[in-house]
Amino acid sequence: MSKPAFQDMALRVALDRDVARTSDGYDKRAQEYASRLTGTRLDKTQVRGLESLACTTDKVSDITDWLKLRVGRDSGRDRWAKDGVGRDLLSEFDGLRNDAQKIVAALSKTYSLDTDQERQVHLRLCREFLKHLAAHFEYLQAEHRR
Amino acid sequence: MNDLEYRLMRKQQIAAWSDRWQSEAARFADGHRDLLPRRITNAQLYGLGNVVRSARRYADVERFIKHQAAKAERAGRLDVQGYWNDLETALGKLRGEAQVLLKNIPLPVEADSKQALDALHRELAGLYVQHLIAHSLYSTTGKDRERQ
Repeated sequence: MSKPAFQDMALRVALDRDVARTSDGYDKRAQEYASRLTGTRLDKTQVRGLESLACTTDKVSDITDWLKLRVGRDSGRDRWAKDGVGRDLLSEFDGLRNDAQKIVAALSKTYSLDTDQERQVHLRLCREFLKHLAAHFEYLQAEHRR
Repeated sequence: MNDLEYRLMRKQQIAAWSDRWQSEAARFADGHRDLLPRRITNAQLYGLGNVVRSARRYADVERFIKHQAAKAERAGRLDVQGYWNDLETALGKLRGEAQVLLKNIPLPVEADSKQALDALHRELAGLYVQHLIAHSLYSTTGKDRERQ
């Protein structure tokens, strides 16, 4: 294996490790959001919809635009706009950028990184957060129904 | 650069641009917040979104915006006319952004550079409008309700 190819693979492994480690730290916060969302009229398809979008898009702004639209359209304030849950979630996504910055700053000491790396890590962290959120939401909803 | 490499690079550059420019579109929406949602209605914004999505050339978007501005002027709604004029200027400036992006993404040899520039300009305008609509609706959540 050539040296650049080895470096590239090592970077991928390091990135996966750091994203996974950071993601584990999101579990509790995501559970709190899931708990707040169970108090709204949202059902699992809407929460899964956001998670699916996050997994398929290549832009963080697609995720936040989606959520802003849902908050904006919620005139009854009983879904994404209820008690400011959508707004708080948007701030949460924004805050994940700091984690992305930390990951990229640490890795840049060892590896040469793409200028777009921080944005891509931010996107991955948003996906991770939503993965936890959607799982907790479905679990809590099932618990409520019992 | 082969066609697949070009497409991948273009996609990534556009995604990065879109994320960078979201705050700029939000600033535009915030700057015209007093017109939302009564003077500039959600229906008008959705109409703009539909036009941008279906436009084949950037000129189609420009024509729609000019038409909205002219309609507002005839109705004596100068603030609304101002909104559409400002939007025309903001979207028009994205041609410069498209030019900068194209410099970073060398076109495949057989591509028509004029056509590529117009296509990219239209795409950037679409993303800007997507951010604009989302932020406009978001920032006016419950505004009507509060007034009632």
